[in-house]
Amino acid sequence: MSAPKKKNFQIEAFKHRVVVDPKYAEKTWKILEHAIHEIYNHNASGLSFEELYRNAYNMVLHKFGEKLYSGLVSTMTAHLKEIAKHIESTQGGLFLEELNRIWAEHNKALQMIRDILMYMDRTFIPSTHKTPVHELGLNLWRDNIIHSSKIHKRLQDTLLELVQRERTGEVINRGLMRNVIQMLMDLGSSVYQEDFEKPFLDVSADFYRLESQQYIECCDCGDYLKKAEKRLMEEIERVSHYLDTKSEPKLTNVVEKQMIESHMHRLVHMENSGLVNMIVNDKYEDLGRMYNLLRRVSTGLALIRDVMTSHIREIGKQLVTDPEKLKDPVDFVQRLLDEKDKHDKIISLAFNNDKTFQNALNSSFEFFINLNPRSPEFISLFVDDKLRKGLKGVTEEDVEIILDKVMMLFRYLQEKDVFEKYYKQHLAKRLLSGKTVSDDAERSLIVKLKTECGYQFTSKLEGMFTDMKTSQDTMQGFHAAVGADLAEGPSLTVQVLTTGSWPTQSVNTCNLPSEILGVCDRFKTYYLGTHTGRRLSWQTNMGTADLKATFGKGQKHELNVSTYQMCILMLFNKSDRMSYKEIEQATEIPASDLKRCLQSLACVKGKNVLRKEPMSKDIAEDDAFYFNDKFSSKFYKVKIGTVVAQKESEPEKQETRQRVEEDRKPQIEAAIVRIMKSRRVLDHNNIVAEVTKQLQSRFLPNPVVIKKRIESLIEREFLERDKTDRKLYRYLA
Amino acid sequence: MSDLDDIFLDADDFKSCLPLKKVPYGDVFEASRAGDVDRLKYLLESGVNVNARDQWDSVALYYACLAGHLDAARMLLESGAICSEHTFDGDRCHYAALNLKVRKLLKAFEARPPPLGPLQGALRDTFLACWANKKFFEQSEGQVPISGNSENGGSSPSDFPPDVVFYVQGRPIEAHRVILTARSPFFEQKFQTEWKDRKEVRFSKEKLSYHALYSLIHFFYSDRLDIAVDDMEDLVRICKVCKCLSLQKVLEKELIHQKYAEYKALRDVDNSQKRFILQGISLPEEDRLPNALHKILQIALVNSNSEQNLNHDVDGLICLVSSMQISEFEDDLADVCVRVDKKIFRCHQVILASRSEYFKARLSRMKDFLEGRDCLPDNALPCIEEHDLTVGAFKKMIEYMYTDGLKDIDPDQAEEMFDAASRYLLFPLKRVVADALLPHLEMVSPAELCHWLVLSDMYGVIKIREYCLDAMACNFETFADTQEFRAMLLTLPPPSGDSALRTTAPSAPGAEMGSTAEGNVLDDLREKWLEAEAAELDERDESALLFDKRLEMLMQIAEQERTDGLECNISSEQEFI
Repeated sequence: MSAPKKKNFQIEAFKHRVVVDPKYAEKTWKILEHAIHEIYNHNASGLSFEELYRNAYNMVLHKFGEKLYSGLVSTMTAHLKEIAKHIESTQGGLFLEELNRIWAEHNKALQMIRDILMYMDRTFIPSTHKTPVHELGLNLWRDNIIHSSKIHKRLQDTLLELVQRERTGEVINRGLMRNVIQMLMDLGSSVYQEDFEKPFLDVSADFYRLESQQYIECCDCGDYLKKAEKRLMEEIERVSHYLDTKSEPKLTNVVEKQMIESHMHRLVHMENSGLVNMIVNDKYEDLGRMYNLLRRVSTGLALIRDVMTSHIREIGKQLVTDPEKLKDPVDFVQRLLDEKDKHDKIISLAFNNDKTFQNALNSSFEFFINLNPRSPEFISLFVDDKLRKGLKGVTEEDVEIILDKVMMLFRYLQEKDVFEKYYKQHLAKRLLSGKTVSDDAERSLIVKLKTECGYQFTSKLEGMFTDMKTSQDTMQGFHAAVGADLAEGPSLTVQVLTTGSWPTQSVNTCNLPSEILGVCDRFKTYYLGTHTGRRLSWQTNMGTADLKATFGKGQKHELNVSTYQMCILMLFNKSDRMSYKEIEQATEIPASDLKRCLQSLACVKGKNVLRKEPMSKDIAEDDAFYFNDKFSSKFYKVKIGTVVAQKESEPEKQETRQRVEEDRKPQIEAAIVRIMKSRRVLDHNNIVAEVTKQLQSRFLPNPVVIKKRIESLIEREFLERDKTDRKLYRYLA
Repeated sequence: MSDLDDIFLDADDFKSCLPLKKVPYGDVFEASRAGDVDRLKYLLESGVNVNARDQWDSVALYYACLAGHLDAARMLLESGAICSEHTFDGDRCHYAALNLKVRKLLKAFEARPPPLGPLQGALRDTFLACWANKKFFEQSEGQVPISGNSENGGSSPSDFPPDVVFYVQGRPIEAHRVILTARSPFFEQKFQTEWKDRKEVRFSKEKLSYHALYSLIHFFYSDRLDIAVDDMEDLVRICKVCKCLSLQKVLEKELIHQKYAEYKALRDVDNSQKRFILQGISLPEEDRLPNALHKILQIALVNSNSEQNLNHDVDGLICLVSSMQISEFEDDLADVCVRVDKKIFRCHQVILASRSEYFKARLSRMKDFLEGRDCLPDNALPCIEEHDLTVGAFKKMIEYMYTDGLKDIDPDQAEEMFDAASRYLLFPLKRVVADALLPHLEMVSPAELCHWLVLSDMYGVIKIREYCLDAMACNFETFADTQEFRAMLLTLPPPSGDSALRTTAPSAPGAEMGSTAEGNVLDDLREKWLEAEAAELDERDESALLFDKRLEMLMQIAEQERTDGLECNISSEQEFI
């Protein structure tokens, strides 16, 4: 009865020998087990791949996959246990080498085993959700070797010791190290992290805590930073050589924390070598290093910035309040610029052009420049100086650079309108005396001011330039019209200044000499003839004159003098001696100006076309003046300058100040009205805030002044106080 | 195309907020609708038609899209479900798509050519596994998607080394001589003469375009041309040199068309972005990859035979092939000999290794094992021996490996073919054999069907197994009367008796369904029987119990028969119950 059945199931005889032979599975497994042993013992060349694969295949095919798999697990486990014993018994130094060697062998064997059992790997294992052979081999290695009680600790200690030795300067076998670490990584990231990375980071932290303690005691800041940087580089290099790249941030973090963060305050504030010292001595390299290292920790840069800011403020404060340094305004501004340049350079070279640092620098400058109320004046004087003479022979680019620097200082000013005032005065002097070196430079500065503060700010300055231009045209017209008649007399150049654009003072006109007066009248008639409805008044305090004079030995000179001086000298055409009183009477020049003129005519050596009795420095009311026959000069042209007040004198300063304050009043009022017009109702504090904001680009209005302006506006019925809330203002009209 | 990656990288999309329903015994439509990928996978593997329609005239893809099962839809598309624009089914799927992700998926597959056949896919993987080629491929990754090629069970990362490297404009392309020889008479001639012993060939001509040559060689391997329209003229020139005439003809035609298309498009499209994709199908059959390799195989087989005669008297494993002998017959470029049952076959390593992981491991492990020890003379080919295999089966198998096709399968040979396919990890071969076997099964006796059931279960040939189970369930009583069937019952593991499998009630969330593919034969039989007998849903449990009782009875009879049989000494069989 079973005969037909047998026939049915034995179409292919060789397939079913398996079923017939009850010991088949056992026998086949023995062959494979033997093979696995042989592979581990490097005797694989005696094995037939084809036969082994076929055996494994048949076992799985006939549902002995489970047996094969469990057999594999137990065989490998047993083998690895052997290996573990062998590794345990190796002598100290050879431990890692042996481990590495055996790991490589295990890997190779594992691949061979996997290939032999490929059929199981492809079919049986996925369908039964078991671990694939290769992964199984790694897991077994991990459990039996790496996690065996004796090896685990030893491996860890050995690795850490090697790193420690390398840190102290010894040369270690990095290749070996890399292989062993790679092994840990191959076994899974958790193995690497748990068994190596974690203790490694702990040890590193300890190491660097101690080392940094040592360094900080005996090194100065620069050296310490050098050492810290070197260590950091070493660790990064270490990671690239034999650690997992993912460890890099963790490891650097440890170093940063121990070496930088915990000591940074001490480092930055270190006396004689800390941040301040580096800045003072321009140690760009050290500063750069400090920046780069402290950047790595969260509050590092803020610390540097704070220290730097307070240092700059300190220096700046000394600079602007030192009375010695205030004597020469040009030098004062030059110092400021130098200081700025120095710190700019530090920021760009060492601090990576960090925006926050630039801001800190700017705010510090703003802080201390405004400590000195005369800064606007000085800056204007500096410009004046540059534009008068400083820019001669300098290329256009350099001019631009200097002007840009000035603009930068200008930006720091809070009282920009004060600067405007002074600038206008200085500009007027330059223009009228024809002292400007370069029209382009002048205009360029005005354009800069315009972009900085708006059209309004510069409209008057531009008006001054326009006046100069139209005056030129007018003069041409004048000469064309009446030039022929005047060929004999003195030639006249008139600049017609628009009232308001120029910083004119109401001046009592002096008595011009008759020769001049005639020409002047001709001009007046000419001008008023072409422009109706205008009024001309002579600003005699601002003009200049060229005089031809003949001295004792027939020496001829051309004297370049101011209008006042011209008036005085013309008097000596008639008599050789005049007393102070006589001069004053004849010219009606204001006393202070007259004294200044006489001083420059009589007391300056080399330019003393007048002689004074008695000889003294100062002009007294009862002095007498003589024509100086013996005057001589190497030059044909002699320029006799007035003793100009470079800096304003105290009363002048007060006056300017007052004028500035006066000018501010309408501006503040305008701002208040603008704000109230749109807001209708606003309380006091908000008005002050808004006004301050609106006027910020020009000056910082004083709250008290604002309050006064508000009151004035209330008086003039632009505003009224709210009836219930006294702090509230309403806009009327 | 890069959209595709966006969709699939996001693993969360595959998890729906509700546990998916399992339909352990549903058809392809139900599985698609429920998103039961395990079942779907099983069905697709057993060979159902992905583009079939149900009684509502809908395709499975439509259901998957409608229900928003991204993974199911992808599985269907990868198995060749058609979704092309402006067709009824395509548009329907688009409109039905539940969400944007499904839409994108459809869009991506629309433009994507259907998956490559196993042969083309395997060779393409080998080509791309070469280091230099991979590098270039990854650069242009954005434009060329890797077509789903899971048929090979995912090839191992270790590549098969190339035996020739071309340098064009300083950049390398790695290749295998045999493939180039098979596809182009130009290369065939060059490899026989000028380049015979050269490992690398440098082209210094400026005109030769790297992209064009790369595309062509890629085409040689995969039977699919993928080239930027800009490079097409270069390629035509290369084709002329390589004497790939039919390809050249197609390209020339396409070029004219492209020129015309350019006028139409008003030149506002950047041509460098435009690509031209050509399927091997568009070429005459004799110019396709399987045919080319078939020719090579034929030459190799002829050579093997002549060699056999020459070495007839040499009784050893070693096959000596001296260079003198090579010159006598047409060069087949064989680089390995396979000895099966005393016959030697000249084969090509690259093809064996590409098609079968077994051979890949075997060939790369030559040195490590016994086979590598008998070192052969330098000019001889390495030789490997395969046991437990008949010459006929091996012949069929290499025929399949070279051509992806199988002619005239003898049903008697089928079992051995199944064995070979499993052993050499040539899983697609199983399906080909199964297809060949199926018509034959319609005429066999119940006893023989039992035999095939056992075999197909053993070798995991799902299609045959399904067929046998269906036949048994529908004609259960006929089989119950067959002694062989009863005897078979004894050899099978007992049914699980798990009631969860017995009903169609939704399984518990996360229930382990992984075993479906390798399920218990009797469990599956019971289910088929329940379906066939059309038991009402609420009576299924009772019916299943009835069936279990019937089985038990049959087994008792079988036991009886066995103990009665005198010759029966199969005492080792496991005892049941």
